[in-house]
Amino acid sequence: MSNPIVTARALAKTFRSGDGRIEVLRGVDLDVAAGESVSIRGESGSGKSTLLNLLAGLDAPDAGSLAWEGAPADAGRRAQFLGMVFQSFYLIPELDALQNVLMAARMLKPPDVAERARAKDLLARVGLAERTRHLPAQLSGGERQRVAVARALMNSPRLMLADEPTGNLDEHTGEAVIALLLGLCAETGTALVLVTHNAAHAAKCARGLRLHDGRFA
Amino acid sequence: MPWYLYLALKQLFPTGRRFPFFTVISILGVALGVALLVVSTSVMGGFGYEIRRMIVDTQGDVQIRARGFINDPAELQARVAKVPGVVATTPFAEGVVMLQCDRKPAFPAIQGVDVDRVTKVVPLERYIRVGSLEDLDDDSIVLSAKLAQSIGARLGSKVEVYSPLLLERLKSDEVLLPRELTVVGIFEIGHQQLDSSVVLVTLRLMQDLYGLGHAVHGINVKIADGLDADVAAGRINRALGAQSSAQARSWIEVNEDFLFVLQLEKNMIFFLLTFIIIVAAFSVTSSLLISVVRKTREIGLIGALGGKPRHVAACFCFQGFLIGFAGTVTGLALGFGALYFRNDAIRVFTQLTGSEEVLVRFYQFSQLPAHTSRGDVTMIVVCSVVISTLAGMLPAWRAARLKPVEALRSE
Repeated sequence: MSNPIVTARALAKTFRSGDGRIEVLRGVDLDVAAGESVSIRGESGSGKSTLLNLLAGLDAPDAGSLAWEGAPADAGRRAQFLGMVFQSFYLIPELDALQNVLMAARMLKPPDVAERARAKDLLARVGLAERTRHLPAQLSGGERQRVAVARALMNSPRLMLADEPTGNLDEHTGEAVIALLLGLCAETGTALVLVTHNAAHAAKCARGLRLHDGRFA
Repeated sequence: MPWYLYLALKQLFPTGRRFPFFTVISILGVALGVALLVVSTSVMGGFGYEIRRMIVDTQGDVQIRARGFINDPAELQARVAKVPGVVATTPFAEGVVMLQCDRKPAFPAIQGVDVDRVTKVVPLERYIRVGSLEDLDDDSIVLSAKLAQSIGARLGSKVEVYSPLLLERLKSDEVLLPRELTVVGIFEIGHQQLDSSVVLVTLRLMQDLYGLGHAVHGINVKIADGLDADVAAGRINRALGAQSSAQARSWIEVNEDFLFVLQLEKNMIFFLLTFIIIVAAFSVTSSLLISVVRKTREIGLIGALGGKPRHVAACFCFQGFLIGFAGTVTGLALGFGALYFRNDAIRVFTQLTGSEEVLVRFYQFSQLPAHTSRGDVTMIVVCSVVISTLAGMLPAWRAARLKPVEALRSE
């Protein structure tokens, strides 16, 4: 594969549960190319979210290696390298939509005029141009998730990780969010790893993977 | 502004909400502690200031005393007058006498003053309530207010003065009659002890009563405004020379123990009232800890966005600092406001309770003195801000320890 954005080799993760140990991932290999969209499906507890956390560098694998653009994954690069979208949106309730989107830019440096303009543009592209000053509590679930998508794209990441982004949305809204996510990633050349239960959403990605018993089936 | 400072501000003052309850309560807690500290240290400072002023007004800036008597006060005064910074000098003699008015006895301290010079050193005329110091001559006396009241003496009353010299003469089978003096003035300094047991006579009369000849017990010295009393005393001692039996001591040195007790009282009150800020800081800690628990998933998100644990810690520490800062500013405003209206408040209180007279009788004031020193305010501000910032440490540490992946997973 040319230009791998993410290279994971033999990733393994085990969790303790009471006296026992649960092997959630047992040697997962994954390569994601620049601009590629990959879906990961699997039963509940199959390790989808754990794999996503490892790919994001939020958790450390017990074994195996992870590289971002050929270099070892480094938490210090996370803000610039990847964007994340979660099932529960995770917007900061004290900030309005625009401020939430700008928060991603703030993690790197205080935003300037150009970044403010970009944040407004992103909100406009997700259909929230008129709601930039609304607090999360004043937005619907679909609107919140669209703000989260805009935030994830704010720093022009090379990789987008989406963990069941439609899990809290109705079918129609979920469709719209997935279409938006795929469209924006394709437009910006951002690689997408989408974890989902929904077969229809997974089918929209260029490549589909299924996680079973800690390995890709 | 770095993201952690920005987020700290937004968490305390969220967009679209004018008075967030938690923030207002936390700020008020610190503000009340600061206000109370400002008021109490200022009032204590006011009392201390008044007492110090009273000491200087009655003793002068520097006092020169000898081991025995100063036998040639004029010569000594001439030498002291040449010392740079010395403005004026006045000799005095002191002792104890028995005083009687209409068969009511008293045993006050008596001080003989040089009427022509004494007001150049100590502003006694400021404290004369009835009569005049100018009328004081060798046949008259000025009484302190409470003493006059206790023996029933008024302006123009005759009092008999018995000195220890009478007893000495009695041993030699000589009989001296008591001196009959006319009351020409009554003074009130505002100090319980001075106002109830001091009388003033001329220096010549005092020398007569004690058989001192031309000798005096000491010389009070007035120094130039702004000159340190200890420095002036040092200069005078150098001018007097090591061989001299006379020694100059500043009012600060003379009253060292008393001033130490005053300072100790003030420090103790400061120390005790600081606990109010500490209690308020505990409430800040508790509120911020709740905030950490409530915002666990947001803290996880910050980690997912690339936030470093030390910056997450800084975010909560800064909230403690901001609460401390805002509380301190509010507390200073409240404290100075309360000080500004203190006498109105006392007037209303005493009128309601009918206790104005009691206040004056027992505390010698009807107006509450207040003196705020820059050092005290600096100390209050530093203590308050530092304690509040420290209050944010524990929540900050808890927040920094949260692992993003676990925080995001939390319910």
